[in-house]
Amino acid sequence: MRDSIIILAVFALGVLQGRGWLLPGVFPETDFSLPALWVFMFLAGMSVGADRRLPEIMRNLRPGLLLLPIATTTGTLGGAAIAGLFLVMPMEDCLAVGAGFGYYSLSSIFITQYKGADLGTVALLANIIREICALLLMPLFVARFGPLPAIASAGCTSMDTTLPVITRYAGPGWILPALLHGIALDFTVPFWVTWFCSF
Amino acid sequence: MYIALFLMLAGIVVGRIGQRFLEASFLGRAVFWAVLLLLFLLGNEIGANRRLFANLPVFGGQALAIALAAITGSLVCAGLLRQWLARRGYFKRNSDA
Repeated sequence: MRDSIIILAVFALGVLQGRGWLLPGVFPETDFSLPALWVFMFLAGMSVGADRRLPEIMRNLRPGLLLLPIATTTGTLGGAAIAGLFLVMPMEDCLAVGAGFGYYSLSSIFITQYKGADLGTVALLANIIREICALLLMPLFVARFGPLPAIASAGCTSMDTTLPVITRYAGPGWILPALLHGIALDFTVPFWVTWFCSF
Repeated sequence: MYIALFLMLAGIVVGRIGQRFLEASFLGRAVFWAVLLLLFLLGNEIGANRRLFANLPVFGGQALAIALAAITGSLVCAGLLRQWLARRGYFKRNSDA
């Protein structure tokens, strides 16, 4: 719980900094998030490698876990379709936005290309919201629903940005399932988004 | 993305080799600090994007509805998968599932 509050506070500080209300000019336009992600990936890899239970984890990685990306896809598109029934926007637009699975950079670029900047912005926001919800609610999701649904909630981001919180709250044993889930979904994003934009 | 995945694989190898010298609690703390840095940078990126910030009320509602519906759908489907796997004895060896 203490960690969640720290995480939320640091994120809020980041937004304030981005608005220029904190320390103007200290963080210029340069985007450090990619190198920071690289550092994190290396550290996360080290904690997997140094884990003495790694061989056991690998043995427990059974084919059933490969069904998780399919469950996430079904749930995500089903949910987006239900949202489409209530929103004043075409159903295929809702599905295209949902099919980003939290991968906001790629999906918003694709959607901006095919459908224009407005739907592109919705895609960016919806997928950022998905990532932020997964990040902040991960402790709750793991405790309430278990590791599998918690990983599913993160979509593509279970392979990078939300991997740290999954590791922290579900345990290092879920790093490899989370990685596989994210990678599998990741490859399907361009396919789904292009397909829903073609209507 | 491939660089990030490669770095993770490199980390696994380094961690495996340096297993004796690495303390789990130290790595846990290092990972937590990296998370804080990533979140600060994500917040910074959102705050600095003027167009996104200005259109927040217009597009935000639609985006929020789709995002929450997608998360709920994923939780439901993965929950069903978890039940199905549990019935087939999938988690017997995996006590933390």
